[in-house]
Amino acid sequence: MTVVTKMKGFAAAAGLAATLMTGGATYALAEEVTLTMAVPDWPPTRIMKKFFDEQYKPKSGNTVKLDVDFIPWPDFYTRVNASLTSGEQKYNFIVSDSQWLGAFVEGGYYRKINDLLDADPEFKKTLMSVHPAPLAAYSTYPYKSENYYGFPQFPDVLVNYGRKDILCHEEEQKNFQAKYGKKLPCTGEELDAMTWDDFKNVGEFFRRKKGEMLAGAPAEDDFYGIAFQAGKGYDFSSMQINGFIWQMGGNVWDETQAPTGQAEGVVNSPEAVAALEKYLSLLEYMPPVAKTGTMDIFKSDELFREGKVAMNIDWIGLGEASLDPKSSKVSDKLVFGQMPGTMGPDGKMIRWSNIGGQPFVLTTWTTPEQTTEAVEFVKWWLSNDIQHQFAAGGGQSAVKEVYEDPKYVTYRPWNRAWAPQLDWQKDVWHVPQFFELLTQQQDQFDLAITGKQDAKTTLDNIAKFQQDLLTNAGLIQ
Amino acid sequence: MTSTTATAPPPALMRLSPDNWKLAILVGLIVSVIAAIALPASASFWIIGAMAAMIGAAFVVNAYRRKYYGGLLVAPAIAVLFVMNIFPLLWSLGLSFYAYQSNQQSIRFVGLANYIKVLTNDIAAPANWAALVNTAMFVVLTVTAQMIVGFLLAMMFAKQFPLRKYLLILVLTPMMLSVVASGVFFTYYYDPTFGILSYVVNAITGGQFILMSSKVGAVAGIVFADAWMWSPFVMLLVLAGLVSVPKYLYEAAAIDRVSKWRQFWTITFPYIRGLLMLALLFRTIEAFKLADLVILLTKGGNDTMTISYHLIRIANEQNKTSEGAAISYLMLFMVIVLTNLYLYIANRRSQGA
Repeated sequence: MTVVTKMKGFAAAAGLAATLMTGGATYALAEEVTLTMAVPDWPPTRIMKKFFDEQYKPKSGNTVKLDVDFIPWPDFYTRVNASLTSGEQKYNFIVSDSQWLGAFVEGGYYRKINDLLDADPEFKKTLMSVHPAPLAAYSTYPYKSENYYGFPQFPDVLVNYGRKDILCHEEEQKNFQAKYGKKLPCTGEELDAMTWDDFKNVGEFFRRKKGEMLAGAPAEDDFYGIAFQAGKGYDFSSMQINGFIWQMGGNVWDETQAPTGQAEGVVNSPEAVAALEKYLSLLEYMPPVAKTGTMDIFKSDELFREGKVAMNIDWIGLGEASLDPKSSKVSDKLVFGQMPGTMGPDGKMIRWSNIGGQPFVLTTWTTPEQTTEAVEFVKWWLSNDIQHQFAAGGGQSAVKEVYEDPKYVTYRPWNRAWAPQLDWQKDVWHVPQFFELLTQQQDQFDLAITGKQDAKTTLDNIAKFQQDLLTNAGLIQ
Repeated sequence: MTSTTATAPPPALMRLSPDNWKLAILVGLIVSVIAAIALPASASFWIIGAMAAMIGAAFVVNAYRRKYYGGLLVAPAIAVLFVMNIFPLLWSLGLSFYAYQSNQQSIRFVGLANYIKVLTNDIAAPANWAALVNTAMFVVLTVTAQMIVGFLLAMMFAKQFPLRKYLLILVLTPMMLSVVASGVFFTYYYDPTFGILSYVVNAITGGQFILMSSKVGAVAGIVFADAWMWSPFVMLLVLAGLVSVPKYLYEAAAIDRVSKWRQFWTITFPYIRGLLMLALLFRTIEAFKLADLVILLTKGGNDTMTISYHLIRIANEQNKTSEGAAISYLMLFMVIVLTNLYLYIANRRSQGA
């Protein structure tokens, strides 16, 4: 480099710096606020980001940017956990599974929002318009207390995915009626009315070998009646088993009763054992992968989309793929109903189920300016108009006015099961020890699912472990 | 090389000069201890760091003034090693004596309690032992499978035959694939509904074959996938040994009418033994850390939990940092003992030969 070019370079750099500085100065009049957010990479969060970029106009006149990190689902917990515990303070918003609340509130990462709710009646009104069951699950720690933390991002429940072409086939209908003396459930309403015994019948009835007749044609491959989650990973059996336990009158360790609530005697109560036995008894009617402990929510969904089962219980969150002909062989043959229930002694259906979905939360290091903008953003997000658009685009809304609107059920075929299910949603523990509770429980359930031990031993082991851990943690006295 | 004897004498302990490393260590230690006692952890951490840097700088100036250029040239490597390896190692060793969870703000000294819990607690210890036994099983099975397959492949590729070059590339591919890709491939391969394995077996036996539903099947599945990926590595090392055997030895042996079997044991084997041992060492250490395939194929189900995966769950998922550190150190200790035992045996053999 000669001296002259060096000089030219300096001049150019100085000029650039000057324009940047003056440009920056004029720009700074309308303040720029960036909100950084960690989210799992799937349609509900992609839609949120898209709506924000296209439609969000902050009232303050500031320029607000939403900087979103899309993280793949299998890595999500690990990445969020690592980010929070390392102290890098990177994110202002975090999409969080409801069970994580306690662990990260106690760690000092999630911001309590009661002061923001009290300061802004409109904000409070918006949040309180969310159905109480998901609100308690997504926002409160301790569970069902008055301490609020989160806002619904994608609320979710378990529903029954069915195949109309198989279930409504005349000959199958006739044979089912002859065998069980009951009508084979075929419409959404009939699916809603199913108990777990009906579900078992469907499983038994539709067990077909390759080449046997299925809905008027020889089956191309082995075919199975039913499927639901029975996987060892994350919470891929607890979320289903909890529903069985609650429906049949048992309970999990209830943190709202701490410190007097016990694990031993509750977790392994005779009702809970019967419920787990019921759950396990259904596995034999499912695709063989159920016996390996790897049939998680994604596997059963895949089996359903590939046309290997007649009914599958799964989260709504995975539903879009089954509607898309590109990823689903059954996209034009779908019928949806509520998850089966248990008939109570009074003849009324008991439908308790474990809530799914995620809230998003604010972090404690978010500055006041960012918080102000964040609150405006959340109010906008939970406004009826945006929630309607979100639901129409493939999301779900737990905001009462939105899901009670007659339009709501027309957005997606499973929406008919949404509102009635909301009342029956409960959540598992929000306590900081949730991950230890969950891993040990999943390990034990896996032993039962793969046939290594019976229901009683399984729940005894879980109860003993929980009693010990929670006593040490001071949550049981 | 001429040695430079005309260096300045080392400074007296109490003289204030930038090359007085003895004084730097003394001051550094005193300041660090005071800072650790008097200040909160967040401040004392940086002060101790600065003291370490100061001592390092004193060493560098000292080396420069006394012309220890060799030491100076190695210094950057040592600095990197210290910052990236030794410091975290010591840090986690320290943590293993505290009750600390990475998602909570409190920390408390507990001495050996973590080690005692890991080894004797009636809930934690059996899980650790079971995982350790499984790990030992995987080490023996996967390493044996890889050594045998890799060795046979190498024997095959040492000869010239048509299409050898292309076949070699094909055989080496699994090693270059990402573990996640192979893991996903094998989950489908073993899947009872979609997988080809069950399809073929069902077609022959007419039953319902589910590989991953028993411990034997699950272990076989993992060992097969691991051997599929890492046998080529053993093959490459052995192949390098085979190629290095001078041809004239075989020619001489042929003239002496030595049998093929004796040729192998007296000529080939001594040449490849060192590399075989190296392959064995590498694969044993790697197998000890087996977690990826287990996570992908079974999630530790069917009693296939390995100590590494168990550790990941404790330290990363449950945030029990101290307990995880204690397990890691026990593991590290075992690997070091095993490696040294192995090196000792290998050395004695080669001296005896």
